[in-house]
Amino acid sequence: MARSSELLVLPIALPIAAAFLMPVVANVQASLARWLGIAVVVAALGVAAMLAVDIAQSGPLVAALGGFAPPLGITLYADGISITLLIALLAGGLLFWAASPGDNVRSHVLMVLLMGAGSGLALSGDLFNLFVFYEITAVASYGLVAGRGSGAEAGAALRYLIVGTLGSSLALLGIALVYASTGTLNLADIARLAPERLAGVTGMAAFLLLVLGFGVKAELTPVNTWVPEVYATASARVASLLAGIVSKLAIVIVMRIVVLAFPGEQARELLLVLGIAGVVAGEFAALGSATLIQALSYSSVSQLGLVAIAFAISGTAGVAAGLALALHHALVKPAFFMLAANWRGPIDGLAGAAKATPVAAAVFVFLALSIVGVPPLPGFWAKYLLVTAALAKASPLVLLAIAVVLAAVVVEAAYMFRIAVALYGQPAPERSGPAILRGDLARATLLAAGLAVVTLTAPAVLDAIHRMAAVASDRDAYIAHVLPERGARAALSVSVGVDQRTERSIP
Amino acid sequence: MTLPWPPEFISANLSEASLLGHAMIAGAVGLIVIGLYAMVVERNLARIILGLALIGSGVNLFLVAVGYRADAAAPILAGSMAPTAMVDPLPQALVLTSIVIDVGVLALALALAIRVHEAFGTLDTREVQRLIAKAAAENDRGSPPHRPDQHVSPSVARKEREKRADIPRLEELM
Amino acid sequence: MSLLDILFLGALAVALAMALLGGTRPAGVIATLSYAALLAVLALMEPLLAQSNAAIASSVKFQIIGEEIGWSMNGLGWFFALITVAAALFASWFSSGQWGAVQYDMRRQHVLLAVNVFAMLVLLSSQDLLGLFIGWELVSWASFAMMTQRGGAAARAAYRYILYALAGAMAVLAAIVIIRAHAASFNFADARMAVAALPSATKWTVVALLTAGFGVKMGLLPFHLWQAPAYSETPGASSAFLNAISARMGLYALIVTLLQVIGTDVLTNLSVQFIWLDARDIIMWLAAVTMVVATFIALMQTDARLLLTWHGIGQGGYMLLGVLIASPLGTAGGLMHVMNYGIYQAALILSVASVMHRTGTSDLDRLGGLITRMPLSYVTMLMGIIGLAGLPPMNGFVSKWMIYKSLLEGREPLLLALAFVTTLGTILSVYKLIHNIFLGQLRQEHWEIREAPLSMTVPMLLLGAICFVTGAMPGLTLQLVDRAQAAIGVPLLAHHLGGVTLATGSLNMLWVVGTMLAMMGMGAVIFYLLGGRHRAVHQYDNYAGGHFLSADLRYHFSHEFYPGLARVIGPWYRGWIVRAEASLIRLSDIIGHAWRGSFDAGITPLYVMAALVAGLLWVRSAGGLP
Repeated sequence: MARSSELLVLPIALPIAAAFLMPVVANVQASLARWLGIAVVVAALGVAAMLAVDIAQSGPLVAALGGFAPPLGITLYADGISITLLIALLAGGLLFWAASPGDNVRSHVLMVLLMGAGSGLALSGDLFNLFVFYEITAVASYGLVAGRGSGAEAGAALRYLIVGTLGSSLALLGIALVYASTGTLNLADIARLAPERLAGVTGMAAFLLLVLGFGVKAELTPVNTWVPEVYATASARVASLLAGIVSKLAIVIVMRIVVLAFPGEQARELLLVLGIAGVVAGEFAALGSATLIQALSYSSVSQLGLVAIAFAISGTAGVAAGLALALHHALVKPAFFMLAANWRGPIDGLAGAAKATPVAAAVFVFLALSIVGVPPLPGFWAKYLLVTAALAKASPLVLLAIAVVLAAVVVEAAYMFRIAVALYGQPAPERSGPAILRGDLARATLLAAGLAVVTLTAPAVLDAIHRMAAVASDRDAYIAHVLPERGARAALSVSVGVDQRTERSIP
Repeated sequence: MTLPWPPEFISANLSEASLLGHAMIAGAVGLIVIGLYAMVVERNLARIILGLALIGSGVNLFLVAVGYRADAAAPILAGSMAPTAMVDPLPQALVLTSIVIDVGVLALALALAIRVHEAFGTLDTREVQRLIAKAAAENDRGSPPHRPDQHVSPSVARKEREKRADIPRLEELM
Repeated sequence: MSLLDILFLGALAVALAMALLGGTRPAGVIATLSYAALLAVLALMEPLLAQSNAAIASSVKFQIIGEEIGWSMNGLGWFFALITVAAALFASWFSSGQWGAVQYDMRRQHVLLAVNVFAMLVLLSSQDLLGLFIGWELVSWASFAMMTQRGGAAARAAYRYILYALAGAMAVLAAIVIIRAHAASFNFADARMAVAALPSATKWTVVALLTAGFGVKMGLLPFHLWQAPAYSETPGASSAFLNAISARMGLYALIVTLLQVIGTDVLTNLSVQFIWLDARDIIMWLAAVTMVVATFIALMQTDARLLLTWHGIGQGGYMLLGVLIASPLGTAGGLMHVMNYGIYQAALILSVASVMHRTGTSDLDRLGGLITRMPLSYVTMLMGIIGLAGLPPMNGFVSKWMIYKSLLEGREPLLLALAFVTTLGTILSVYKLIHNIFLGQLRQEHWEIREAPLSMTVPMLLLGAICFVTGAMPGLTLQLVDRAQAAIGVPLLAHHLGGVTLATGSLNMLWVVGTMLAMMGMGAVIFYLLGGRHRAVHQYDNYAGGHFLSADLRYHFSHEFYPGLARVIGPWYRGWIVRAEASLIRLSDIIGHAWRGSFDAGITPLYVMAALVAGLLWVRSAGGLP
């Protein structure tokens, strides 16, 4: 069967091309531009589905753009994880299309741009290319946060932009260091050279910079300070996309960098420390937060800390745990935000919400049970995978991480069920519980139903996650897929004398 | 602790220690440190954005330095002549891309800053933070999830601004 | 389809039926009959269990991440399941009539009761550690739902409970994952082999995590604070169910893990240097201290429900003590006490519930003299408190006697002394309970009170009667205990209908009860032969110092019931655990506030700078120069 490698570029190219076309089309007919955007994302989703089938049947896909064979040209690489994230991104984009029909065409363009650049993040196999897509994603999300441009929205977007751009600069610095050490930007090529070129101080400095850089969107401590303000200010759909999906794209990039370029223990320790700090900071901050959105924002920080802890554990088990946690969070958090958009204000003021909309309250409790990790819901299996994976590598730091993860469950339950108890409380006599928009409730219910389906099919889903993780955690296989002719050399490890840079700049 | 200078990868790659190479690295590090320092100590968003621009320039300079080789030719292949040593062209391509991105992001940042200044009459980041929190709290009081635009008319903004005369205005800074 | 499948399906069907019909009038009757049917299924399982001592497997099983999870019920689970279903039966029966009709949320109560029964059956059928954990969490959340249903104070108490329970569950999860890391599977047998080979530090960790984790549910010190308020705030019938059996799930899990998976030999080999205690001793001392402390806290309660639930925590200590002695007599006593306690505690809670149903309060300072108005409730409570105090002829005496005896034979005189101190406290406090409710002066506002209807009194009295019958004929209970003991692998205790036969001194309750009844009969005969003069006077016909006491004058002594005792032991009630809990909450609030303050985009550059400096220093020092 012919592989569909040449299709890989479409989920990136189609939306970005459409993003440039849409303002022109809007001059003819405003609604046409919107439909064009949606149609393109649907088409990209269709392509992604085809790719997913191909990958499931015959393994990862590699495409060399412009016909330059790797490591010269830019490569696109798709395995199970990237295609899952791609589908999550596109489907999430359709579900949470963050611009309403009446909006200016610009917000539709931003949505389409976010989809295209996010696809690039999921698929790119080139470090600098990743940086470019990361920046486009970032700019699109600043624009979406700024929304209709009220003072608060612009302020939050600006403060977010400052953190984000600082992070991007650090990431670029890290990329420069990686390039200086290896003379290449292709991830597979970097992976091939990593053990000897990136194991030293320069390599670790590069890793620190890359993690801090990509950590902004991945909500890693200490660059996650923008989270509560942005989620509280931006529209719930934007918050859902950023917290649910874009953050996963970023953390998976961090995972790829760790697996491919920094397989040493030191890099993992650094990521572990950041993850632990994220869990502790997020959980404690969420405890006693005044509003539901605030609690959810901090909970998102701690969940991504959990993912970081999982990705810091070497081997398939760690990647599988992180992937399970990430996908679970991607399913749960947007649903939470949909509810939170309607349940604003102090938590005590939510009394009677369960009486006003029993379905919404039930969905909330279901999601909360899963995110806390109550068996047999998916959240439990994800955390279980994390704890078992971590215990297999019992170092003091990992044991601390396990203790933190388990304690975090209790803290998580403390704030989630404080809210749940408030929802089921008696409202003040003259007031009824807060109402909820039908569209938001439908989205939340849809996601909760998805979670229920995953609960019932948990064994199969976990198997699939394990298979994807096995592919993604295999450094040699990645090199062999992207650089088939050099795969053999990777095993032998290149001799120190070859100057990669000269080889590269003069073909 | 010995001074980590020159960085190991630079000394390994520069055929002989070149003054320009050192100067570029030092300049890049200097720009980044100054920019970061500005971002840490400044409270005015416009100045913070300037710090950001400094860091961006520093990183770009660093990229150029990474590709620099002492006494090498420009990487242009003319005819069939094969040069002996060339500057690495790739970082220069990267820098071009990065500059374009920087321009775009900074333009967006300034546009947002102007919008913030219009709405709040201040660019003090703590003040802005407080006002954002206040706006969020006000939103919470009204139940509809789609919040009304909180646009403040320019005249109101000016009055607000006059009240806080001690904070420098955007125009004065740019 | 095995009997266990039928049991599971049956429990689910009850939940479903109650979800559909729970609001209708005959719902209580339907539920009662359904639980009776489940009891019949359990009865059918008995011969199978007795025959082969094998577990009855369920055909439901699934495979997940390389682990196979299945369910099967052995004798131990069966014994607890019997008490569970019986408790549900009496709770439903109690609520099938007037009591249920006045509840505004009876449907929810019915459904939650059925869900709890199902969750407990799942837990009691676990055959591996993962299944045990899943069942454990199901039970925790099901009882959370049951406790929280009333909102307000109940929701607060339930919220506190779920945090304790979840902390315990996480300790358990850590322990089972540690065991799994060394074992071939989660299976109890594999786990047992793995634990035996663990280094002693890991063994200590596992034992501590499991004891703390499951101990939370039992209210083992210092995790006892949540239980009394949480159980008390639950509506009457559900409260009886929770009190009778819910906390015993902790005991079940401890028996399974400490006795079956870890084994007493491992526990006794884990010794602490210099203080001549091993792991088992430490847990037994914890149990004993829990027993004393909880009982004396119960003594100070002024609410009937709180008083009883605090006793529940204390009685749990007896059971754990007996089981951990691990002699045939001890385990039999401990397990028997589970059943006996369940019976009399249900009777007591239901009797308090019927008093509450009529008077609207369970405050011991606001009741009194109800004996003439609610005689049947009084009789129930009398039987119940005799059982609770562990006096003949009720069943509580037998199990406590066995525990005392096993402590004596196990050479644990100090623990025995603590057990006696506890019994003293129990007797004092149950007297306070029955005096303040039923004896003394009848309050004017209770003049019109009538006895609770038959739908409530019949199950109550039935429980009281069972309490007496199993007290006089403990062999009935011991027969059931045999199944559980066989499953744990402890040698069976020789017993007969009247009690046990031991080389060091036997007990035959038929003789004891017979003698008691004969003496009482003789006393009555003597009284009447001597022409026992008695005259019924009006309840309000009272005099003091030659003065008539009118009904509006309060002379019923109920507040601060044991002033002398309180003066002696009062200073012991320091509440340091309460304060420790409060400080923990406040501390996490303060930390949370500080963390929230740290989430400010404006400070990020500083964080980044710090992270870069720290990170680069760390990289340099840890990596060294290549």
